[in-house]
Parts: sequence; structure tokens; C-alpha cells
Amino acid sequence: MLKDLLEGKPLRHPIHPMLVHFPIGLFVLSFILDLVSLAPSPRPFLVSASFYAMLLGIITALLAAVPGLVDYTDIRRDHPGKKTATSHMVLNLVAVTLYAINLWLRIPALPDSKVGSTPLILSFVGIGFLSASGYLGGRLVYDEGIAVGRHKLRAPTPRTTLHLSTMQAEKKNGMNFVPLPEAERLHDGETLRVEIDKQVMTIARIGDQFYAFQEFCTHRFGPLSEGSFHGFNVQCPWHNSCFDVRTGKVTNGPAKVDLKTFKVEKRDGKIYVGVPAP
Amino acid sequence: MKWLLDILKGTWLGHPLHPILVHIPMAMWPSALIFDLLSQQQIGGNAMVRLSFYAIVFGLATALLAVPTGLVDWSGIKKEQPAWKIGLYHMLLNLVVAILFAVNLCLRWPTFREATEVDSIPLLLSAIGTLILIVSAYLGGRMVYEYGISVARMSKKKWRKLAAAGGANLPLE
Repeated sequence: MLKDLLEGKPLRHPIHPMLVHFPIGLFVLSFILDLVSLAPSPRPFLVSASFYAMLLGIITALLAAVPGLVDYTDIRRDHPGKKTATSHMVLNLVAVTLYAINLWLRIPALPDSKVGSTPLILSFVGIGFLSASGYLGGRLVYDEGIAVGRHKLRAPTPRTTLHLSTMQAEKKNGMNFVPLPEAERLHDGETLRVEIDKQVMTIARIGDQFYAFQEFCTHRFGPLSEGSFHGFNVQCPWHNSCFDVRTGKVTNGPAKVDLKTFKVEKRDGKIYVGVPAP
Repeated sequence: MKWLLDILKGTWLGHPLHPILVHIPMAMWPSALIFDLLSQQQIGGNAMVRLSFYAIVFGLATALLAVPTGLVDWSGIKKEQPAWKIGLYHMLLNLVVAILFAVNLCLRWPTFREATEVDSIPLLLSAIGTLILIVSAYLGGRMVYEYGISVARMSKKKWRKLAAAGGANLPLE
């Protein structure tokens, strides 16, 4: 599938972060060559060299945009990183537009030995946008864990969080059983991300059984609704901690603390998840 | 000593420093190969030969800067973790690549000011260097995307707050 290819699943490594090295490096190189061209006794051809670096930067930036957009659409709609990703994309669009104008302005001045002031200012501003945008892109990986361990997963990740309330719950033995009609549509190995009164949990279907456990891994809080399943184990996408979904017990580190699990009941073909009544 | 480690780890920036710095050599050296190939196709003349030369210089300078940040990140990985060994290979391959491009640069030095075409031996060195670099960079990327090295290192407080608000079981602090 094209989407899997653009997400780098066959390579087991996302494509967008591989390609972005090129525009970042080449735009910085182009700016440095501009600055050197302003030295008192400039070397020849620096203006042309800077132009070629910028041209290759723009080409590779456009290439990187394609898998970047696919990665963007794959982020859960209510993920805290979604806004960061939107800013990252807008800043990149501005930067590439600035560089396209910049490149155009340079064409008539290629034989010069010193760079003109307008292209130089545009490059300076471009570097500013690029730095901010690159920083946000890095934060998406290192803070939000976007695309980390994504290739381990075959099932689709939840598109959004279902917000449910104990208002519709059936009370039984000091528990609130909240109906989960969405769970009935899950296939084997698929998950829901559900929030009930601030408790965020993963609902997973394994075979014909349903399991509910806390969403956040007990190591560094990775999203278990985006985890992969191996028998009755869920593996965290970030640092590969494994837990038995039936008991919440850690089956493989680095996590040391067990997961909180929730009771799932099936009655008359309907699925309910039990949360302790306050 | 701790302040130096914090600088190298990127704690002050809220972002690990090594993956930022490596963008430069990772872009410069494969681009140098592209510029070499273009110059052999009679495109760009001496400007292209010089561009390739400057790209290799800039790559070497930033690669040296990236070494201490990489070493610090690697030293934070426990030896029994699979990422430790990958990090070791990543480091050794990078060393080979940097040496290849340093030799490459020396071979270009006498002629880059006038030549309109890159010679075949420097071009071959660029090609071999780029191939090894791709393998090495892939390993570096695997450390992040497969083993989560540096992932949630700086954001774990934020995530803990979210998890704690819903009464989830938490790791010890």
C-alpha cells in the first residue's frame, strides 16, 4: 500500500525525517556561502555555488513534503502534537515559498561575485523559519513520539479519542459499566482510545475477546492504543515494554510497574467497560 | 561537569542536540556526490567543483561538533540494551565515513580552484562514503524509531501529569 510505503514501514524507519536532512543542510550551506561572498576578497563562483545549493534544497524539500503530509494525516486528531505538526507544516510552506522567490531573484545576478542584499535578507529570514520549523519537527519525535515504533503496527491507529461518561452507565457491584458500541466494530488486533471521567484507556480486541487497560505505558507513558499485539501481550511503540493485557502484568521491560486493567463484559452482544464508581 | 553534559545532551534546548547537528554532514556528503556527478556531466563548471569542496568542508566541521553530543547520548544507553550495540556500529561507521571524506578533501585541495570537473578517484570516494553514511544514518534512525532512544526523555513530566490526572499506574520517580 502506498501509504505504508510513504510512512517507511517496509524500511522500518519513517521517510520524512530521512529526507529533511537535505533541505536543512543545503539551505544553511547556501547562507554560509552567501556570507563568505561578502568577505573583502571573495573567492570566485560563490554566488553560483550558493544558487545550486539552494536549488537542490528546494527540490529535496518538495520531495520531503510528500511523506511529511502522510505522517501528518496519521497523527490522531486530538493528539497534543497535532497543533505542533500543523505549525511545523505552515512554517515549512512559508520557508519553501521564500526560497523559491529567493532563487528566482538570484538568476539574473549569477555572474556577480557578491550576493545581493535582497536575496541575502530572504535567506536570513528563511533560515529563521527553517530553524523554528525543524525544531518543532524534532519536538514531534522526541517529545510526542510521533512515528516512533509506528512500523511495528499493522492495524490502523485510533483516529481520535472517544469521550464517554458514566452518565449512561449501568451500576453493578460498586462499578459503572459504560456501553461501548464502537468496540463492536473492532477487528482482531485493533484498538480504541477511550476516555471516561479523565481515565484514558485502550480497548483492544484479541481474537473474539475484548480487553481494557490504561493508555499510558508505565515506563515513559507511551500510547498503548498505538501498540502492537503479540498473543496476549501489548508492546509499547516507544521503548518496547510488554504487558499481559489480561492481568496488566509487565512481561518485558524497561517498564517495572504493572498496568491498571478494567473489566470488559459482553451481554446480549453488547460490550461494556467497568470503571469503579466514585 | 554536569553543565557540560547538559549542553551536549540538549537539555537547555528541550531537544537532543546530536540529531540536530547531524543534519549537516548527512546533507553535505551525499550532496557532494550529486555535485561531483553533475560536474562530470559538464554542469556548473568550476562553481560545481567548488560547491562540492565546500560541502565536504562544512560536513567535516559539523561532524566533529556532532561527535561529543553523540558520545554523551550513547553513554546514557545501558549496555544490555540492543540499542547500545547499534550505537557502537553507528559510531564506528561514522568514523570510517569521516576519514574517507577527509582523505577525499585532501585529494581535491590542489585542483579545486581551477578544475571544471571532479576527478574519478575523489568521486569514487564520495560514492563509497555516501553509501556507508546511509547505512550508518539508518542505524542512528533505528535507535530512535525502533528503540525510542531520547524519546520522551525531556517530556516525561508532561506525560506523567496527563497519566496521573486519570489515575493511571505510574513509574517511580
